Amino acid sequence: MSWITKNLWLIPILPLLAAALISVCKQPRRRTAATLAIGSMVFSFLLSCCAFATTLHSEHGGFREVANFDWFSFGTTTLRLGWVLDPLTACMLVMVTFVGTLIFIYSIGYMAHDENFTRFFCFLALFAAAMLGILIANNLLLLFISWELVGLASYLLIGFWFHKPSAAAAAKKAFITTRIGDIGFFIGILWLYSSTGTLLFYDNGAGCLESSALTKLVTETTFAGMAVSTAIAILIFCGAIGKSGQVPLHVWLPDAMEGPTPVSALIHAATMVAAGVFLVARVYPLMEVTAPGLPSVSTALQVVTWIGAITAVFAALIAVAQNDIKRILAYSTVSQLGFMMMGLGMGGVAVGMFHLITHAFFKSLLFLGAGSIIHGCHEEQDIRHMGGLKKYMPLTFATYAIGMMALSGVPFFFSGFWSKDEILHSAFTWQVSKIPFYLAAFGALLTAFYMTRQICYAFFGSYRGHKHPHESPRVMTVPLVLLAIGAIVLGVFGTPAWPAFETYLSGHDAEFDVAKLLRGETLSVMLISICIVAVGIFAAWQLYGRKPVKTADQPDPLEAVNGNVYRWLANRLYIDEFYDATVIRLNAAFAYSADLLDRVLWGGAVRAASLVTLAFAHINRTIDDLFINFGFDESCHNIRRSSGFLSKLQDGQIQNYLRGIGVALATLVLFLIWGCR
Amino acid sequence: MNLMILELAVVVLGLGILLGDLWTAAHQKHLLGYAAAALLGVILLASFFGLEQVGSGPAYAFNNMLVLDGLAVFFKRFFLIAAILVLLMSVEFSNRIQSGISEFYCLILFALTGMMFAASANDFIMVFVALELISVTFYVLNSFQRNRLASLEAGIKYLILSALSAAFLVFGIALVFGTTTFTNFADIQRALVANPALAGNGLFLLGVLMIIVGLGFKIAAFPFQIWAPDVYQGSPTPSTAFLAVGSKAAGIVLLLRVLFVAVPAVTQHWSKLLIIISAITILYGNLCAIPQRNLKRLLGYSSISNAGYLLLGFAALSQAGKAAILYYLAGYLFTVVAAFTVICLVTRDRDSDDITVLAGLHRRSPLLAMALTMAMVSLAGIPPLAGFFGKFLLLKAVVEQGATNSAYYWLVGITVFGVVISLYYYFGVIRAIYWSKDVTDFSPITVSWPAKLSLVVCMAAILYLGLLPGKPLKLSEDSALALTTPVSGSKQLFH
Repeated sequence: MSWITKNLWLIPILPLLAAALISVCKQPRRRTAATLAIGSMVFSFLLSCCAFATTLHSEHGGFREVANFDWFSFGTTTLRLGWVLDPLTACMLVMVTFVGTLIFIYSIGYMAHDENFTRFFCFLALFAAAMLGILIANNLLLLFISWELVGLASYLLIGFWFHKPSAAAAAKKAFITTRIGDIGFFIGILWLYSSTGTLLFYDNGAGCLESSALTKLVTETTFAGMAVSTAIAILIFCGAIGKSGQVPLHVWLPDAMEGPTPVSALIHAATMVAAGVFLVARVYPLMEVTAPGLPSVSTALQVVTWIGAITAVFAALIAVAQNDIKRILAYSTVSQLGFMMMGLGMGGVAVGMFHLITHAFFKSLLFLGAGSIIHGCHEEQDIRHMGGLKKYMPLTFATYAIGMMALSGVPFFFSGFWSKDEILHSAFTWQVSKIPFYLAAFGALLTAFYMTRQICYAFFGSYRGHKHPHESPRVMTVPLVLLAIGAIVLGVFGTPAWPAFETYLSGHDAEFDVAKLLRGETLSVMLISICIVAVGIFAAWQLYGRKPVKTADQPDPLEAVNGNVYRWLANRLYIDEFYDATVIRLNAAFAYSADLLDRVLWGGAVRAASLVTLAFAHINRTIDDLFINFGFDESCHNIRRSSGFLSKLQDGQIQNYLRGIGVALATLVLFLIWGCR
Repeated sequence: MNLMILELAVVVLGLGILLGDLWTAAHQKHLLGYAAAALLGVILLASFFGLEQVGSGPAYAFNNMLVLDGLAVFFKRFFLIAAILVLLMSVEFSNRIQSGISEFYCLILFALTGMMFAASANDFIMVFVALELISVTFYVLNSFQRNRLASLEAGIKYLILSALSAAFLVFGIALVFGTTTFTNFADIQRALVANPALAGNGLFLLGVLMIIVGLGFKIAAFPFQIWAPDVYQGSPTPSTAFLAVGSKAAGIVLLLRVLFVAVPAVTQHWSKLLIIISAITILYGNLCAIPQRNLKRLLGYSSISNAGYLLLGFAALSQAGKAAILYYLAGYLFTVVAAFTVICLVTRDRDSDDITVLAGLHRRSPLLAMALTMAMVSLAGIPPLAGFFGKFLLLKAVVEQGATNSAYYWLVGITVFGVVISLYYYFGVIRAIYWSKDVTDFSPITVSWPAKLSLVVCMAAILYLGLLPGKPLKLSEDSALALTTPVSGSKQLFH
């Protein structure tokens, strides 16, 4: 085992330690807090790089090292935890620590004026620790523990400005919504444990993702003839639905934008929401396994694909008609997560994960850019009150444009193009159905559209706000530039000509072959994708770019095209209202009836019992007062009195003292004569 | 010579302080205390390098009058630490001594010399000389505040009562010498083994009893505790602290040597006597402390009850009991010094030692409040502090003996009763700090850094002894090994 595998636990422990230390820091010690948090992240990043480098050299078949240890044992059963180092872990580690470090640095500038600066860094470090814990876990339980810690940290961070009622509500919503998914996840874990007797992923052939356990799972069937593996996989996927904001549990993510912008970038673009995708990728063997007789695509993966496809289009549609700059990005994130799920479902781990990595870079770039805009426009988040910012914030504009082009999938130079192209390509060749391909294409079109719309609103035209906008400080723009570089460069590793990332994950060596680019299918998908992007950008430019909006309260040009549709979209397809009317109302009604039952039936019983107890207590007290207390008080009193008497013996007269000693000696002599013989 | 190098160093240091006084400006004289403390620290350190030969077994000198064994080294270091802390306290007290502060330091050093000789004493002559060196210096130390009547009164009372007990001691020594023709512990022990009838000789026993009375006076055990409250209350605070820690420990080490080295055969018979004295001392100290309102007087009674706890270890007559005594003394040293240092600082600008001076202390100086609270909690024997573990060890040693004599169980019961009573007045002090109703004075108390250091050291030691008893317990057990006499081996010959 390499030294890095042995010491992989250091990567999450360092930020955890930092969080613990910061939590005991006093409020004004900002420098200490920031240094601790960023220092721990930098160290984790360096370690992650070592881990990454280790996974690069490997023989055929992929690098994988696990370190398991006994946590505790009850009876004959031993619960074992452990961590695993494989390409999937390594690339995620590098991504999370790198993006995390940049966001931490950015936060120094963004949170500079906040009085709870140290608390913020404490939560950030805690979050990073939990997230890194998910990545290295080699045990579903350890993963789940970290998963829940991530949930807690995100709750704390979304509700960081808890004095704003909307932020407090958003935090609660995020926590509860993701918990709904986690119930499924947890049931899946329990089921998996009861069927295989282990939760370790890899354990020299005895792990739950290794062939013996999978064969067992796939041959057992449960209700409606479904394989146990399928049921468990779908249950685990429930957790991913909640965390990654897939339909129908996506509602928390846009609301979560109430948190500080670095939080949105860290949690809701790069890391936490990606955790769901990572989870699916981690348990991929379980997801893709099918019974030997049925060589088709497994049911679980079909579910993943369909949920992803629906989410991708659905969220993109809503994003078209939003006005809050961060909400647009939030819906965009939901949509992109759908793409990732689709990629996982149809193309395999590499396709989904590649989009995850590239997306992490350009989406955190966009979020941080948005943060920079908000910061520069004096906490203004409504794009209708911006405009013409490219003049005031050139650096932010340039980086934001790069992010936008990467997200929209502008060809050739941006990573988003290549990663999205792969998803479209795998959808194009999917054997089950062609519908996901059309949905994905439509989603891509919408993506290009709403991003162009946003950029037109924010950067072009004339400034429609009140306070004078300004460029952000260096500490905020430098991370933007670094992320922008990442958003461009990363595409190189995933082109069909040189699929370095895919081969890295599967453990092969990449071959450089330009000819693959020109093969019929690849080329046609690429062309389609280019056309889609072009159409999207062109349509949006026509609507918003040519004649920029003049005033803030002017209706949206799209509204002029079709008011009804726009209203539906602007109101997020009334999903939240739908939930309010159904789930929440039902829950409230149930709670009310339970409350009533509680008060009348159980409350009555309890009151009756309490009356009886009270009666007993009265009797008891009387006895107590009369007998026990009386005795005790009396003895205390006696002690006090005797002590007073004894200390009065000490009258300060030395003659008496001398006499006392004489008497004492005499007594002792007498005692000796009679007592100790 | 080698065996008394430490004592000689202390004497030279004392003379040096006296000489240094001549060349020191009047307003700087109190700083000599720091110098003395620092040099004592050097001597303490040197003791870890200079006394290596102890490991190979006890060494004797001056015709076996002096012994240097593990026990002696333990107590020498104990006294050195106590003297350092008391000297630091004395510097804080210097503003209340009108003249001759350097003599005060010097007397502390001479008393320390006496205590260190006591630690090594292996002969009744040596016992007497060491005790008189201690007593005579304390006559002066106790009455050092010449303008305060209470201080003078304390000195006089101590003088008279101490003289009486010294008379008993000498008389006892004479009787023992008369019956055995020896004054050396080892010789007496051998004589007892050779002639078992001696243990039944009334004159001999009377002599031993009188020696115990003389030593019992030093440790303030019932019924010779009677001087303690008055003297504790009246003396200058550093003298009181040194009296409570050093003088008591000197009595303890001598008592250990006399009872377990010189006359072990007699001691075996007298377990009942020890049990009774111990029980009464505990009850007396704790009961009388309840109505006290004067802090130093309260600590005086507390010191009596602690003498009772220490006697538990004697009464147990076992190796575990002896080790427990040493352990308890170590905890007691830091606890009591911490308490007296706080009192010394708090009463700096007041004339009163009344418990009300503590009101609002936690706002005037959180450090002092914390130190005093810790000291009280430790004295009350609440885990996880030193006092708890010390009492635990003592009681454990007593309980282990329960099988031989059921009186031991009664002793445990009485001790627990005493401890419960003591909670009342110890927490009364804590209550006075935090929950006093009418606090008028909120002026912060400035504490010099040496005093702070001394308090922090005390608190750390209290915590350390309470939380990590492993190493210090091993040390006390090793030191107590010096008290295992070959008697038990020869006794088996009789069976």
